[in-house]
Amino acid sequence: MKIEDKKALKRESIIQTALQLFSINGFHKTTIPDIAGKLHMSVGNVYNYFSSKDILAQAIIKYTSEALGEKIREVNMMDISAKEKIHKIVEVYFTMAKEKPEMIDYFLRVYLSNREVFSDGCEGMVCVSGFITEIMIFFDSAVSSKELRDQDFFSAFGLFMGYLGGMVFLNGENVLPNDIDYYIDDISNNIYNALKA
Amino acid sequence: MNKVTIKQLIEKIEGEAELDFTFNKGKIEDVNINFGFYRGIEEILRGKDARDALVITPRVCGICNHAHLLTAVRAIENGYENAGLRVNLSSKANDIREFTLACELIQNHVKWFYLTIIPQFEKYVGKQSNENYAIKATYLSSIITKALAIFAGQWPHSSYAVPGGVTCDPTHLDVMQAESLVYECIKFFEDVMIGGSMDTYLTIDSVTSLNQIEGDFGNLLHLISVNDMVKAGKTHGRFIVFGDCSIFKPGKSIITTVSNVDTSYVEEEIQPGTMAKAVTYKQKLYEVGPLARGMVAKTPIVKSLHKSYKDSMFTRIFARVHEVALLLEYSKNLLQNLKLDEPSCVLDKNVRPDEFEGTGVVEAARGSLIHKTRVKDRIITNYDIITPTQWNLSHGTKEEQGIAVQAMIGTSSIEEATFIFRTFDVCSVCTTQ
Amino acid sequence: MTGQNKPKLLWLQSITCNGNTHSFLNHPDLFSILSHFELVHHPALDTDYSMEDIIAGVVPCDVLILEGSFREVGFVKGGVEVSSLIELYAEKAKHIISAGTCATFGGIFKQKDPKSISGFCFDGEEKTKRYQIYASKLISLPGCPIHPKWLSYVLLMIAGKKDIPRDNLHRPVELYGYTVHTGCTRNEYFEWKIDTKNFGLKEGCLFYEQGCQGPYTRGSCNKILWNDTSSKTRVGTPCFGCTEPNYPGESLFSTKTNMGIPDKMPLGIPKRAYLTLTGVTKSFHIKRFSERIMEYDK
Repeated sequence: MKIEDKKALKRESIIQTALQLFSINGFHKTTIPDIAGKLHMSVGNVYNYFSSKDILAQAIIKYTSEALGEKIREVNMMDISAKEKIHKIVEVYFTMAKEKPEMIDYFLRVYLSNREVFSDGCEGMVCVSGFITEIMIFFDSAVSSKELRDQDFFSAFGLFMGYLGGMVFLNGENVLPNDIDYYIDDISNNIYNALKA
Repeated sequence: MNKVTIKQLIEKIEGEAELDFTFNKGKIEDVNINFGFYRGIEEILRGKDARDALVITPRVCGICNHAHLLTAVRAIENGYENAGLRVNLSSKANDIREFTLACELIQNHVKWFYLTIIPQFEKYVGKQSNENYAIKATYLSSIITKALAIFAGQWPHSSYAVPGGVTCDPTHLDVMQAESLVYECIKFFEDVMIGGSMDTYLTIDSVTSLNQIEGDFGNLLHLISVNDMVKAGKTHGRFIVFGDCSIFKPGKSIITTVSNVDTSYVEEEIQPGTMAKAVTYKQKLYEVGPLARGMVAKTPIVKSLHKSYKDSMFTRIFARVHEVALLLEYSKNLLQNLKLDEPSCVLDKNVRPDEFEGTGVVEAARGSLIHKTRVKDRIITNYDIITPTQWNLSHGTKEEQGIAVQAMIGTSSIEEATFIFRTFDVCSVCTTQ
Repeated sequence: MTGQNKPKLLWLQSITCNGNTHSFLNHPDLFSILSHFELVHHPALDTDYSMEDIIAGVVPCDVLILEGSFREVGFVKGGVEVSSLIELYAEKAKHIISAGTCATFGGIFKQKDPKSISGFCFDGEEKTKRYQIYASKLISLPGCPIHPKWLSYVLLMIAGKKDIPRDNLHRPVELYGYTVHTGCTRNEYFEWKIDTKNFGLKEGCLFYEQGCQGPYTRGSCNKILWNDTSSKTRVGTPCFGCTEPNYPGESLFSTKTNMGIPDKMPLGIPKRAYLTLTGVTKSFHIKRFSERIMEYDK
């Protein structure tokens, strides 16, 4: 294995470990020595990869945003209707909430709750563009094909993502009487009906 | 059988026209004016967004495109007002529009003078000089359209006027450059066209002082006089102006009595044998253009010429060239008083009535230009363009011959009649659209 | 305009507004350019041959400039179909310049009767049956109207016996290798995705809301300025894409967007790449771009 590849793997393992610790224990309560300890690395070596905890936090949000964006991109590439794409995107989102809850948790509990950490280097959508771009591509083609109604981007985006975020939150609080998958069909239909042309 | 009809193709006007001259006992008794192809701009506009008229209508005509733009924007603004939306243009926007329109009129008149009138008259009287008049035309025209482009971006075919104002946002630097170009044109007018100062020229108010004029304009006036043609080419003596700005007043003039006008009395009528529709005001024919503007505004020198020679081609030619001086003076003043601190556009781009009907009028180089637009759901359902040449070049009504036709009647040669025809600054593209 | 050995230049009009004629008459070096040719006929300038000579078919022609859209039948001058006149001189000519969008692609007048009106060798982007016959000598100069300097470039290249590199639609690449966006004074606002708030402002980009087609329209309007002075976008008017085969489009003063995302992308830019950059640049609120460059009422 090349040295660059090894470094990339190491970098990713730091991100994944930190992601778990941050989302379980909170951003402020987690320290770099905690992360280093869990990875059996020296603290100094972690700093070789990320020069500060803030920089690490920013790398994580980019990582999760790209991971989610990658899945939605696959949906965007499919030759299916906008209605079916909505269904797939909801599925992708809930699957991630189930299989990698730390990713969604991180977004809700760290990224949205500690804005000061992200103010320098992650302004606005800079660090979540991997995900946002794919949502934009989805909206653009669905409006262009006249399946969805033309409107302001954020009014559509807020409806779509606010809904999904809310359901994942309820699920995380164990409020939902059913498994989150139970709601996919209804939610997809609701989103489609709200946005359709 | 004394009647003979001769066909003649007239070119080097704006486009071409075919004239059928009917001679009776050696004199022209009737003329049929046929213009080329109908391009259907009004039909093309139907179904388009209301504002697209600002792009499409300039393409009616390569030489008076800017007048079409300004008429189109006025039609929309009038429609907005009719729909209850006040459009209070800033004086800045208004003055910039006036300025760019004046520039277009200047280039038009000077091109007509040097590309058409002088060479054709010299040819007609057999006194052709070797002078390159065309280079004078293009020199002045390229400078004045440069001043126009400072505000409008380009000429021909700018679309810089939008409902509520203009798209440009000029700086002092822009205004200074435009002023300098206008001064260059004034210098040209003084040194080349009239051979004297413009201030002195503008004091000329009677026929007796015409001999003060030198330069190419003076030479032409002299040449027309010595060939005893100052009274040729008279027509009905009725003039009409619809456009309104500081130097042109709306109104109609019959003999010398000036009265008010209202565009709702303007009627268009299909004429057999040509794509050009005839236009009348209360069923009567009127001449439009610089001579009409001079008569309605009671410009002293135009009135004086009319007193001596009526609406002859001499008076008509004079009125058009004279307008160059008035327009240059006007342009200079507009720039000097331009208020750059005012907004360029007073309407928000998203504020647009969905349904309206509006009429726009502008004094174009050849006379009053009228656009009427009808809009529903922001889409044009009907568009009507009435061009100046439709007034001047129609065949006429049952009662009387058309304006230009009447001017040609009674002459004994095709050459003379053709020259008289050209004094109307003929534009075939505008006539047929 | 004499000169026996100079190439003979013929300017013929078809269905037109004369806009290309007048645009070229404004060329500041007009007579120096024409001095390389013998102008055999022109719509406005005095020439030795008359329109009747042209119609009689007796006029020599080396370089043919075509203005106006083309119609197979039904457009007659002096009793002759203009289409057959054009073809007659197109046969004779060594170079055919389609001057303006009408002559090149059909332009605005094509919309009156899209089935029978087209450009001379192209109908929109499609090749007409004349393309095969004349392609080898065709130079396309779309623009509504033609830019005077673009035409003079072609004429002087011909006079200098130089080859003119052309693209697949026969447009000279020196002129059409650029987009209208190149050199626009509003480029900084485009880079940072800042739209102009309204018409009549020197600040802001016209691509996001006002319908500007500059980023995907081929032409050098902002490199070779109009009337040596300015351009549409410099005075706050959107580019309407007047050099393009599909000109004119619809709703020319507003940008077609899908949920706020521009429908058409800058030339050759994938939407994903564009949106990624947009998301990033839009995240920054840069003070300089939210202020007026200058205010006169202060």
